[in-house]
Amino acid sequence: MYLRPRTIDAAVAALVETKGRIVAGGTDVMPALVDQVRRTPFIDISAVDDLRGITISGGKVRMGARTTWTDIASADLPPALHGLQAAAREVGSRQIQNVGTIAGNLCNASPAADGVPPLLALDAEVELTSAAGRRSMPLASFILGNRKTELRAGEMMTAVTVSALGPAARSAFLKLGARRYLVISIAMAAAVVERGKDGTIADARIAVGACSAVARRLSALEKDLVGKPFSPAAAEFVTAAHVAGLTPIDDVRATATYRTDAAETVVRRVLAACLSETAHA
Amino acid sequence: MTTVTMTVNGKSVTANVDPRTLLAQFVRENLRLTGTHVGCDTSQCGACVVHVDGRAVKSCTVLAVSCDGASVTTIEGLANGAELHPMQAAFREHHGLQCGFCTPGMIMSAVDIVNRKGHDLDEHTIREELEGNICRCTGYHNIVKAVEAGAKAMGGTVAAGIAAE
Ligand SMILES: Cc1cc2nc3c(=O)[nH]c(=O)nc-3n(C[C@H](O)[C@H](O)[C@H](O)COP(=O)(O)OP(=O)(O)OC[C@H]3O[C@@H](n4cnc5c(N)ncnc54)[C@H](O)[C@@H]3O)c2cc1C
Ligand code: FES
Ligand code: FES
Repeated sequence: MYLRPRTIDAAVAALVETKGRIVAGGTDVMPALVDQVRRTPFIDISAVDDLRGITISGGKVRMGARTTWTDIASADLPPALHGLQAAAREVGSRQIQNVGTIAGNLCNASPAADGVPPLLALDAEVELTSAAGRRSMPLASFILGNRKTELRAGEMMTAVTVSALGPAARSAFLKLGARRYLVISIAMAAAVVERGKDGTIADARIAVGACSAVARRLSALEKDLVGKPFSPAAAEFVTAAHVAGLTPIDDVRATATYRTDAAETVVRRVLAACLSETAHA
Repeated sequence: MTTVTMTVNGKSVTANVDPRTLLAQFVRENLRLTGTHVGCDTSQCGACVVHVDGRAVKSCTVLAVSCDGASVTTIEGLANGAELHPMQAAFREHHGLQCGFCTPGMIMSAVDIVNRKGHDLDEHTIREELEGNICRCTGYHNIVKAVEAGAKAMGGTVAAGIAAE
């Protein structure tokens, strides 16, 4: 069974009727199915035009669920979203970015999803739609665990919204893998930092992925950074204690010990990169 | 079964397919266009790259039915009759292949890179942009040289030399 709705209403109705699986870009769904018979009904949302595109208004950036990583990477976005754009360029390869979507990345809820740390650092909200209506919640509450989300039966993600922040905000993303390209993260970190009028850090938001079942904000570090000089040197305030709350696992890609150590370094580097992003406003 | 209509290499095709059919399967099995290779089936290797509405995609990730109405170009759509496409000619000229398994996908990605980045490509850009294509034979060196030359040839700069081959 295969359905290709053209509207959000039709997609939601199809979900209720068939209890099918949504397929957006298919880059998580298809590779996982290789040797299995594809039995679940597919609801292909690749023709729902209302789900695609980025709009900026009232200080908010709204990205439709089906917005691809290529769309995000090539859009003209405020500096607070440059980290998200850097992450977009790291998702698989160009061919994957051309079809893979932001909502697919979030709903798949892999601990190593590259979209999650930058969006957590942006305090992103996700919009969920069902036949009953719409609800929104912070991304931080949406992802519950490895492959577990708040998505209810009959519900789909329709948009992701973040605050555009001011021109004084900076952001960065950094990913560590076994090699440079086409790789699943061993650890990654995203930073969004706002500069106060006095040249110090007014607000910092740092998130780390692939080092816990769900990517996590480092709230102790965020607090410690406020008031520190807005310069790459502030990265030196990062200590092992700041990443001690992470709960990485041992797996084929790295040991837990390595991940904890790497996380500290990746956080320090992403901060330094973020704080040296001063040239362009 | 679901009916799908798309344009493949300039020709309109309509078929009744099991909706679970991947685009890679569709072009190989239904259309007998076996130039598109399947190396991994998990969207890693890039042997199956085709263009859908002008963008490079891994055809093992995409359902054939979701390409309804789309325009698809496979490796078979590049040559002009007996005359190789400049990128194909460059791969031959520069020994950009050994077993040839990765080659169709490499060439489709290479053409996409030129379409996006122009004719003057440096080695770093080519290597970076080819991240989604894996070759187990060549060590990439000659592939990179071939893409660089093919890109120039597509711009017409050295087209004469290669096309006359
Ligand atoms: C070779 C390769 C490399 C990759 N590299 C990376 C990488 O470096 N970093 C990374 O983070 N990811 C990577 N991925 C994973 C994948 O490409 C991304 O997670 C992508 O963003 C998924 O989007 P999609 O549209 O293809 O999702 P799909 O495969 O279409 O869907 C994924 C899941 O989300 C659900 N879903 C999709 N859209 C919605 C919606 N609107 N509402 C509700 N549920 C929905 C689907 O039902 C499914 O469960 C890679 C994949 C491949 C094949
Ligand atoms: S067969 Fe499609 S990427 Fe390998
Ligand atoms: S030439 Fe054999 S895989 Fe590339």
